[in-house]
Amino acid sequence: MKQLLIVLEPVIWFMFGQGIMIGTILLTGWLIVVGVGVPMGIFPADALAYERMHMLGSNVIGRVVLLGLIVLPLWKGAHHLRSLAVDFGGGDRDAIVGSLLYLIAIVGSLLGIVAVIRL
Amino acid sequence: MARAAHPQAMQPKKPGTTRTAPPKMPDGFPGKGRYRTYVAFETTGLIYLLMGFIILRAIWQLGAGEAGWNGVMDAYRNPIMIGFHVLALVGVIFVGVRFFWLFPKAQPPRIGPVRPPPAAILKGMLYSVWIGTTLVMTWVLAGGAF
Repeated sequence: MKQLLIVLEPVIWFMFGQGIMIGTILLTGWLIVVGVGVPMGIFPADALAYERMHMLGSNVIGRVVLLGLIVLPLWKGAHHLRSLAVDFGGGDRDAIVGSLLYLIAIVGSLLGIVAVIRL
Repeated sequence: MARAAHPQAMQPKKPGTTRTAPPKMPDGFPGKGRYRTYVAFETTGLIYLLMGFIILRAIWQLGAGEAGWNGVMDAYRNPIMIGFHVLALVGVIFVGVRFFWLFPKAQPPRIGPVRPPPAAILKGMLYSVWIGTTLVMTWVLAGGAF
């Protein structure tokens, strides 16, 4: 398992790097409006009405942005949690913890692809 | 052409005879000085992982129909959810500021024949893209366009 993680390291680091950079860039606007602004009444609720959000999300650009919003944070999260586990004495369990976290990211990514295709 | 070497190809098959001190965590880890910031940076991984699944659920429900999406919006009005989203926003800004501070320092002296731009320009470019994308996304999502 450890050997597989070492071989896959370039892919994992690529997804992690994109998660930190592009994931952060995309999440900021999403959180400002969808997570905080509309629920707190700062922006009108109509902005996130079903028809409008479906229209925004179901075109090619919308699907790519939404997929980025799902997939990239998962990989940033999985890799940083793996590092955290190692730093807190989990070096011996790294192979199993790392594999489990990346498996979660892979499953979430595949579900994310299905989710944006369904739109 | 020579094939790529395995990343641990140079590792000895059995440990050497030189005695080495057992590894130990540095003083101050995890709660003091730079370690606190470092651990906080890693801990944001939990926020990102949760955000990935929270957005996955929202988009899944958007694909399921109007009732599903409205259910997501109702859940987002829950004070606990708003609190988590505020925490996530703080975490995301913290990650962005720290990463964009580290990014120029991590550049190699040359990328092929090209030298990376000076740190100030690189940082300016990253912040421009971040702020610009955030403004556009906020404007579009909040109903300013379309």
